[in-house]
Amino acid sequence: MITVRISDDSLAIACGADEVAAAFEAAGCTVERVSSWGMHWLEPLADIAGQGFGPLAPEDVPAVLAGTSDKGIGCIEDHPFLARQQRFTFARAGKTRPLDMGDYIAAGGWAGLRAAERLSPAEIIARVTASGLRGRGGAGFPTGIKWQTVANAFGNRKYVVCNADEGDSGTFADRMVMEGDPFMLVEGLAIAGLAIGAQKAFVYIRSEYPHAIAKMHAAIAASADLVAPFEIEVRVGAGAYVCGEETALLNSIEGKRGEVRAKPPLPAIEGLFGQPTAVNNVLTLAAVPFILAQGAEAYAAVGFGRSRGTMPIQLAGNVRHGGLFEAGFGLTLGELVEAIGGGTASGRPIRAVQVGGPLGAYHPPSDFHVPIDYESFAAADGLIGHAGLTVFDDSVDMGDMARFAMAFCAAESCGKCTPCRIGSTRGVELIDRLRAAPTAGDAALLEDLCETMRFGSLCALGGFTPYPVLSALKHWPQHFGLIPETTP
Amino acid sequence: MSSHTPEKLAYMANQIARNLAEQADPAAAVASHIRTFWNPAMIAALARAGATGLEPAAEQALRSLAPDAG
Amino acid sequence: MGYEPQADLGTPAAIGAATVTLAIDGRSITVPPGTSVMRAAALAGGSIPRLCATDSLEAFGSCRLCLVEIDGMRGTPASCTTPVAEGMAVHTQTPRLQTLRRGVMELYISDHPLDCLTCSANGDCELQEQAAAVGLRDVRYGFDGASHLGQPVDGSNPYFDFDPSKCIACSRCVRACDEVQGTLALTIQGRGFASKVSAGLASDDFLGSECVSCGACVQACPTATLQEKSVKEIGKPERSVVTTCAYCGVGCTFRAEMRGEQLVRMVPWKDGKANHGHSCVKGRFAWGYAQHQDRVLSPMIRESIDQPWREVSWEEALAHTAAELKRIAARYGRMALGGITSSRCTNEETFLVQKLVRAGFHNNNVDTCARVCHSPTGYGLKTTFGTSAGTQDFDSVEQADVILVIGANPTDGHPVFASRMKRRLRQGAKLIVIDPRRIDLVRSPHNAATHHLPLRPGTNVAVLTAMAHVIVTEGLADQAFIRERCDADEYAHWADFVSETRHSPEFLAPVTGVDPAELRAAARLYATGGNGAIYYGLGVTEHSQGSSTVMAIANLAMATGNIGRPGVGVNPLRGQNNVQGACDMGSFPHELSGYRHVSDAGVRALFEGEWGVAIDPEPGLRIPNMLDAATDGTFKAIYIQGEDILQSDPDTRHVAAGLAAMECVIVHDLFLNETANYAHVFLPGSTFLEKNGTFTNAERRIQLVRKVMEPLNGYEDWQVTQELARAMGLDWNYAHPREIMDEIARLTPTFAGVSHARLEAEGSLQWPVNDAAPHGTPVMHIDGFVRGKGKFVVTEYVPTDERTGPRFPLLLTTGRILSQYNVGAQTRRTANVVWHEEDRLEIHPADAENRGISSGDWVKLASRSGETTLRALVTDRVAPGVVYTTFHHPETQANVVTTDYSDWATNCPEYKVTAVQVAPSNGPSAWQQDYDALSHRARRITREPAE
Repeated sequence: MITVRISDDSLAIACGADEVAAAFEAAGCTVERVSSWGMHWLEPLADIAGQGFGPLAPEDVPAVLAGTSDKGIGCIEDHPFLARQQRFTFARAGKTRPLDMGDYIAAGGWAGLRAAERLSPAEIIARVTASGLRGRGGAGFPTGIKWQTVANAFGNRKYVVCNADEGDSGTFADRMVMEGDPFMLVEGLAIAGLAIGAQKAFVYIRSEYPHAIAKMHAAIAASADLVAPFEIEVRVGAGAYVCGEETALLNSIEGKRGEVRAKPPLPAIEGLFGQPTAVNNVLTLAAVPFILAQGAEAYAAVGFGRSRGTMPIQLAGNVRHGGLFEAGFGLTLGELVEAIGGGTASGRPIRAVQVGGPLGAYHPPSDFHVPIDYESFAAADGLIGHAGLTVFDDSVDMGDMARFAMAFCAAESCGKCTPCRIGSTRGVELIDRLRAAPTAGDAALLEDLCETMRFGSLCALGGFTPYPVLSALKHWPQHFGLIPETTP
Repeated sequence: MSSHTPEKLAYMANQIARNLAEQADPAAAVASHIRTFWNPAMIAALARAGATGLEPAAEQALRSLAPDAG
Repeated sequence: MGYEPQADLGTPAAIGAATVTLAIDGRSITVPPGTSVMRAAALAGGSIPRLCATDSLEAFGSCRLCLVEIDGMRGTPASCTTPVAEGMAVHTQTPRLQTLRRGVMELYISDHPLDCLTCSANGDCELQEQAAAVGLRDVRYGFDGASHLGQPVDGSNPYFDFDPSKCIACSRCVRACDEVQGTLALTIQGRGFASKVSAGLASDDFLGSECVSCGACVQACPTATLQEKSVKEIGKPERSVVTTCAYCGVGCTFRAEMRGEQLVRMVPWKDGKANHGHSCVKGRFAWGYAQHQDRVLSPMIRESIDQPWREVSWEEALAHTAAELKRIAARYGRMALGGITSSRCTNEETFLVQKLVRAGFHNNNVDTCARVCHSPTGYGLKTTFGTSAGTQDFDSVEQADVILVIGANPTDGHPVFASRMKRRLRQGAKLIVIDPRRIDLVRSPHNAATHHLPLRPGTNVAVLTAMAHVIVTEGLADQAFIRERCDADEYAHWADFVSETRHSPEFLAPVTGVDPAELRAAARLYATGGNGAIYYGLGVTEHSQGSSTVMAIANLAMATGNIGRPGVGVNPLRGQNNVQGACDMGSFPHELSGYRHVSDAGVRALFEGEWGVAIDPEPGLRIPNMLDAATDGTFKAIYIQGEDILQSDPDTRHVAAGLAAMECVIVHDLFLNETANYAHVFLPGSTFLEKNGTFTNAERRIQLVRKVMEPLNGYEDWQVTQELARAMGLDWNYAHPREIMDEIARLTPTFAGVSHARLEAEGSLQWPVNDAAPHGTPVMHIDGFVRGKGKFVVTEYVPTDERTGPRFPLLLTTGRILSQYNVGAQTRRTANVVWHEEDRLEIHPADAENRGISSGDWVKLASRSGETTLRALVTDRVAPGVVYTTFHHPETQANVVTTDYSDWATNCPEYKVTAVQVAPSNGPSAWQQDYDALSHRARRITREPAE
């Protein structure tokens, strides 16, 4: 009997994994549905005794079983895309069945929680602080310091809130954690609960992630006794991008309008239901079991500058080898999109890479030397955000992209603060006016508007929208009609 | 329809008596209450009507307030 | 006072001592920790531009005009949401900030109509003001883009308009509704550019929404988006006068904002210590009655009530009245005369009426409308604590942990205080409601009672004694407090009494209808949940055991140590604006001012020395006694100032008979009220806007009433009483109410330190104000009870004699509604009728089903006293077996049905329990028809040409 391992990750399913799995079963194979390796261009990928075949269609199955398929990629773990990675968070990716407790335990699961249970809260926090872990949601705030703040804060109850409202374009690492290794997130939440003295956690998942929601429900139910009396509850978002902003997210969980709160007070002091709350991204919490199990030093040993540990980078857009690439900080943008991503899928030259989601800057190839690191990207007028990289070839009109940034902000603005609420709509109108009849005055007004939004907005939605707009305006003024189009 | 009939005054006195029944000295409490709040004309009218139909404490109170009452 | 907007420091004050020193634009200032940078800047004399911030609301941080730069801090934080820190250096005016603020304002104005010159807020608009402040000169975006202009105005509310095209989406209205009022009627609908203010559901207009029309949103609005219709009609105010509301016992202070002699609007005064800048629909908006065409401005007399009224001069009216009073005194004796003081009038006016009775009529036949509302409070709290008043100030609620509301419906009856209570509940205080009806407090947005004990009407004493049983038998009593502060023997006697098995919740459940487990839980919560505060209303007092219930409440508070500090106490929610004051002023037939019995020779001597007359040492007649005596033929003349006893007092037909038996009924009022149908003299009254004086609210707070406009009838009420006294030969020469207050202070130890000059200087004073408490007394009985040791009084539960039976199987209880006030004399003459145009009978679906009654049907409501008709409202807010109605409309004649049963100690009527039957009906009762005819006949006025 041949055992075939095929991912049940929703990207694999979207590519036809269920049909391929059915074909293998029909052919008499035992099929195990596992997590995804994160090599998206190879999905559906079949793993037969360590050898990979992909991307497969049902009609490829007989050839694979007959040993005549040309879709073989050899030993999966030796694939160059994987071999160059350093997987801490995604160590089990492709290898375990997501909801199989035995698989999880066999692969080192719960070791972090068991270690934490032997420590005092202060010791847990000390280890997380020593690891150098910074918030993976984009802001990069040191996790240990945030936890210490919550632990010190006075409150009748304390909460852990996991931000799983992964809404940035070109990002999928949170989803892969929840679909592929949900027990790891449960473990991370439980450790956080011990560290800060919380009795309860909420996992706020966007409604567009039905598979992740189902798996988190199942994993929480299966591990309830292991983490008790700590409780974990899933809350499902209702489709607003801005609810990925931590304070809007808290309002949404409370049943209020998903509107950003002014800070201070910080959620760590006065968060969910007015109580001290640690709001952490999925990837942040998912990194914690490794740190507790393997030690802070092991985590901190990799990285670049003040950005320690690994970052699960997500390669997407017009890229040949899209997928999840976890590595220590410090690889350059060019290495990632060209050497690892293999350039564009269309084969045309890269015009721009947007880093950090829809609010990230568009970087021209002249920025390809910049290393993936919070501080380096800030110095390059950009941000790494959730480390989603979206690649564009030279057919893209950057004026359109600037307009899209404003339109996205207008569509997703919560409406609370004036620069975002009115400014984004005026931004769309102004870019249209500028492109129809370019004037220096309107170009200056667009820059002024971006200044108003960047420094005046209440949260990152309005505050970061100027990044894509200004980067497009700076690097591609010809797309706004401000200088003549030059043909290379 | 009611007016200052002896029946009404007796009802009032009895109501006071029932509500002060648990006091240490109910009759004294009733007398003190009536003395504090009633116009003498009302006490006199009740006294004229006599003690018929009065609760014991009210009757005793009335005797202390209007010693001549029949 | 000219027209100056009330100062606004941007964000609320932080509590605590000023210990944080920072520099704002180089100026050093020291403020309490938690103060915002914005407020600190305002206190330092600077001003940071802002639109979404106002000091009545928590900082929100949305407008982004108030950005500042702070040394060592990244970016440009909003000054409203940034707290001060020691040594902070703030820069509020830099070129970078100017550019940012102008950029934000440019966005605002790109979506705002350019109609400043024709806008009703022109000159009183924060957007206009701030646009100028940031130096906006140009809107480079132009005006061709998306906008909110041209949306229809929602004019559905009778008092204010909502014009969404002028809205800047600052959320101040929404936040005011949430934070200040606690109704949460408003929301921001949609998001982003489409965000807009909405009253509840998308289809709702303001009138159809949950909005209670308190006006907090209107006050909060920085533009003309939410604005009083009166401002649109009359124009911007030119001057303002601070005065005190004449509706309920909360005692809100307002700025009456005037243009010429016209009142433009009433704006709650932020420095008002009772209301802190909040109001309800009545105080803010329902003042139109003051100019209503029904007001009678000329005195009128007639020989008998079947004649039409004849308008006469003041001189003739007063001479005639004095002559009549003298004639009656001569013929029937001095005891045939009496007077009723008004809880609606000022302390000074009330004092003069009782003085007229005592010094002019030579008897103590004076009573007041407190007889029918809170007389049991006076009796009960004086007996147990030693003072006839509530123990706390309103601010105390902010420190309460467990709030017990019994027999009160604050959201309707005392809405401004209810908002503060709800805010405390949202902060986490627990609530126990003891009420037969599911009042709004039991469950409303973001508020819910931990325990609701829906008792059978008339069983308050049983429920409270059962709570005491739980507290004593479970060892929850505060023995240290009792040992130190209360009479030990009386406590022991009481503890034995309540511990009897017959007082257990289980034993009493068949009587009270209350689940024993729920009652036990409520008792434990009150006894052990931290600061326990009891608030009660007429649902406690207006029973045959009203005084016992008040004492049972006092017992509970003493037994749990919940007396003598902020956050606890026994708090009667007094009904009328000056019912506390009317009682304080000696309006009861057995007491002189300051609750001193007339039998006390020393006290009498004080008054006799001041007034130069002998004071009758015997108690006079109470209102029901006066009416009884009238029916008996021994009481013949009454001077009634500002009260409509025919409509408000129980057993209407008995009241009517009493009045009809008198020879001279003098009604001194704004309107020809129902009582005036039986009157021989009508003296026009003046409104609170037209007089000087003081009111005393439910927290014993004395506040100035200031004349806003000249009396339409020519005289303030105290002047009319003075002229009547002079016509009777008394040598009264008060030139101003302040002189009356000086006399009150001379004669009343608890008022010794009160004067108008001090009230002007200090805003308000809570009595006692004297050498022992020179600054007044916000919380009473702190170190000891006024009477010495607290007195536990055994409260035997004596059920009312009003019983249900086959003929009258249902229990009627009565109450009121937010938009109307008492007998409705004022509110029925305002646009408030849109919310409540008639009284309805609430009946449980099961009882309605049995009788074939649907909502809206006319039903006959009958008791052994009488019957009336009104329309039904089928609802499960009332329990099966209980029906409920309001008594705001004279047509309803609800008091035809109520009985003459009353409180055993004070004769406060038992409005809250009447056995009734309800049946479908097709029209008014015979009494209603007869009364309607009489009412028309009795209100005829002939206007003869002057001779």
